[in-house]
Amino acid sequence: MSLAVPPSAGRTPLLRAGCLPAAALRGLSALRLPASVVLSLAIVALVIGWSLAPGLFTGQDPVIGVPADKLLAPSLAHWFGTDHLGRDLYARVVYGTASSVTSALIAVTIGVVAGGTVGLLAGFFGGWVDTVIARLVDVLLAIPNFLLAVIVVTALGFDTLNVAIATGVSAVAVFARVMRAEAIKTRQATFVEASFLLGGSRWHILTRHVLPNASRSALPLAVLQFGLSILVIASLAFLGYGDPPPASDWGLLISIGKDYLKWPWLVYAPAFVTITTVLSVNRISRWLRRID
Amino acid sequence: MRNAYLTYAARRIAQAVAVVLLAYVFTFVVVSILPGDPVSTILHDPQNGFTDEEIREIIAAQGLDQPIAVQLWTALSHFVTGNLGLSMRSGRPVATLLAEVLPSTLILASAGFAVALLLAAVIAYGTQFLPARFGQGLLRGFPSLFLSVPNFVIGLVLIHAFGFQLGLFRVIEPNSFWATLFAALALGIPISAQIAEVLIANLDHEARQEYAAVARSRGLGQVGLFVKHLLKPSSLPVVTVIALTIGELLGGSLITETVFGRTGVGSLVQRSVTTQDLPVLQTVVSLAAVVFVGVNLLADLVYPLLDPRVTLVGSGRSRQAGAEDPATQTTEAVTA
Repeated sequence: MSLAVPPSAGRTPLLRAGCLPAAALRGLSALRLPASVVLSLAIVALVIGWSLAPGLFTGQDPVIGVPADKLLAPSLAHWFGTDHLGRDLYARVVYGTASSVTSALIAVTIGVVAGGTVGLLAGFFGGWVDTVIARLVDVLLAIPNFLLAVIVVTALGFDTLNVAIATGVSAVAVFARVMRAEAIKTRQATFVEASFLLGGSRWHILTRHVLPNASRSALPLAVLQFGLSILVIASLAFLGYGDPPPASDWGLLISIGKDYLKWPWLVYAPAFVTITTVLSVNRISRWLRRID
Repeated sequence: MRNAYLTYAARRIAQAVAVVLLAYVFTFVVVSILPGDPVSTILHDPQNGFTDEEIREIIAAQGLDQPIAVQLWTALSHFVTGNLGLSMRSGRPVATLLAEVLPSTLILASAGFAVALLLAAVIAYGTQFLPARFGQGLLRGFPSLFLSVPNFVIGLVLIHAFGFQLGLFRVIEPNSFWATLFAALALGIPISAQIAEVLIANLDHEARQEYAAVARSRGLGQVGLFVKHLLKPSSLPVVTVIALTIGELLGGSLITETVFGRTGVGSLVQRSVTTQDLPVLQTVVSLAAVVFVGVNLLADLVYPLLDPRVTLVGSGRSRQAGAEDPATQTTEAVTA
């Protein structure tokens, strides 16, 4: 009779171990997620965990080190090794996550809200509103993204919040362009015309029909921009435009590590975390675009 | 057709000039209106030891007591006539400072660009003809991997591996051949990803066409098919993408130069940012906009001549081609 046992039966007790994860897993398999997407989601979840409650993931102190333990190679006690002051690098990466991730979130929010609104209005109203906004977006696009962020952060002053704002400003044009195109596409749809003929006001059509439809394609873009923002923010932090040490933004950690290339894990560990996070975010974005 | 093209060209050129001027205004406004005020920060820095009287004099001499609109007009008219102003830090003409560092950046940027093109072509070729068991899927993953790696990390990895471990170049000689080559690699790799993505998509599209099947059935080998038939139609839309990556090339050289310790426009920007030397920044950003807009203008002007499928309809602003043609999508991305 043992032959009749379905091959998956052996795994069931594992799933039952926790009711919530089991339900979540079943939900995920119902969506037929590719393995790489599941892995990406797990990595992003871990990164979010790091930024919300860093203390849960490491018992070490990110600021005060043990000078005797300086520049140790990665080991079981210090997963990512230690830096020149004997601080645990893993703890520094974990504690630096909050600021790296929050900045990227702020940047994307600025891009989505400012760029999205502007693009939506341009596409929906057309006419001179559209002409003016389209030209402004052209101007923003004409200045290389990174230089734009650099000049904004120069004007605002060097700290991590300003770096986030600058990155957000440099993302405005992208969202404006996409939302404008989507709004134009939706505005011409039959159901929008129908809603207008049924007496729907412009505001009603804008908020109930055009916005929801146009923002569908903005979601994968926002996720993609989140990954890109992490990179831009890391670059700005690398150049020293963010908070100074002992802050431990990922880009800043890499920048400190570059002066200690004889102990390469000081560069490789934070770089690995950055790259893995961005790769996962990009994978999720691609997947979102496909299921859309 | 001839007339339509001329109208289109004239319109695009006028648009480009307007965009560049507005970009100058935009940068100026960002720098002067945002809350921070680098000028008075520098002047009031006790290390510089200016008295209040001297500060007033300097501000008057620089015309900084004028209303913003007047300052903007003066600066803009100077910019248009080629007068780039003086560096706030060193007092030397910005044009001289730029001329000193420009050659090094041009070498780096063109080498980086060559690396990007070559790498993109190799990756794209591989995705078409590498058998699946030899890692075609892996190769297809390269562009998204390259896009996820910050270019300063690529630079540091190269320095560590080839500079420190293999001793191919010395970090203290940033202008040697090998150091320049690896700097170009660091700059070019992320840019190659964007070009490769479009190239791969286009090659996939072209390889599915009937003419490709016919060519194959007539016994044409893979290399022949790629070179004679697929490459040309696939690389046309890439022209536009290449023009768009010029901006990244300029921004990327800033970081690459810092990592490799090269003197160039990037390091000039880096120095000007830390000393808040606004005239230099204003000039570099505006010139970057000029280069970027100029290259894109060129791409837009050349494109209809290269690709007979692109027709200029009506006013010249809207271009139409086959609905599924990737060419339209990429060109529209520029004009939209």
